Amino acid sequence: MSGQPNGNSVILSEKSYQEINTYLGDLLQKSRASLCVFADMNGYPVSYKTTRTALNVDTLTALAVNDFSATAEIAKILGETQRFRYLYHEGIKQNLYLCNIGNHYLLIVIFGPHVNLGMIRMLSQHVAGKLDALLNRIRDEKDKVAKYMDVEFRTLLGQELDKAFGLKN
Amino acid sequence: MHIDHQKNEIVFKIVYYGPGLSGKTTNLEYVHSQLDPGLCGDLISLKTSEGRTLFFDFLHLELGRIQGKKPRFHLYTTAGQARYAASRQVVLQGTDSLVFVVDSQRGRLADNFASLKELQNRLTQNGVAITQLPWLIQYNKRDLPMAEDVAVLERKLNIWEVPYIEAIAVTGRGVFLTLRKAIELIIKK
Repeated sequence: MSGQPNGNSVILSEKSYQEINTYLGDLLQKSRASLCVFADMNGYPVSYKTTRTALNVDTLTALAVNDFSATAEIAKILGETQRFRYLYHEGIKQNLYLCNIGNHYLLIVIFGPHVNLGMIRMLSQHVAGKLDALLNRIRDEKDKVAKYMDVEFRTLLGQELDKAFGLKN
Repeated sequence: MHIDHQKNEIVFKIVYYGPGLSGKTTNLEYVHSQLDPGLCGDLISLKTSEGRTLFFDFLHLELGRIQGKKPRFHLYTTAGQARYAASRQVVLQGTDSLVFVVDSQRGRLADNFASLKELQNRLTQNGVAITQLPWLIQYNKRDLPMAEDVAVLERKLNIWEVPYIEAIAVTGRGVFLTLRKAIELIIKK
């Protein structure tokens, strides 16, 4: 199983991001999909590649992840020992394919009716395997959190919040 | 929390939890109505036909860059009704900070208590002890005539002695203070 248990942070190095981006870029190009998102099961888009503009990837990811997680509860009720491996939603103009990666990550692919589902499924599973291997390899890069949020950053963040929320002048 | 080194962004997940009709959605609606549209996205609400939260509400906030880094916040509410317990489990996954919204009315004490117990159990199922999680209590509906004294609510509900804030979410009183505190608890940790 890759990733970390519920409630823990996801911190990846720049090199890991580059590798993830390469996989997503390949998937986008080869599958002719319009959006590929690598997300964690907490609802964050870790990285994505898209041919579309003006798309709210944050919201889309939050909804897709919760959609997938809801079906994991259904799987439990049905006596499945694991989450469902993938989900597919078919629309008129767009289709959505969600692929489980090691129970803690999700691959989200959006594609039009001109693209064959079998092709999406095959390519997605290939990329999911590569991403799973990468996640198992890197495991824990958590020590970077403290460095990222130093004291000065925390102080300035507090000031920015007060300004945005109208709490202090 | 999620750190994106490429875009130099840090994302936090904050969940509003509590019994049905305690005012979780109202908190998010107020935040959404008051903030500069440049700072927040649309408020996404998955509701039943009666207008009650079915799965969750979601609001995305972001601030300008600080030291070149962009902080962003994902705010979720959970569905309060008892029958949506499974959906609450899902939304709680990976939360960085939590606001427990209490309905201050005397007649809701048992509901508040049951919801708190359920929260504790659900966190445990997700592998998180309630004492490890940064969280606070919001005593909402302080304007209602049947509102219980805060001292009584504190004694009966807040056995963990977490911070609390009094609020009237429909008018906005205490809403931003609560959110500010929820974020402060994460960054302190």
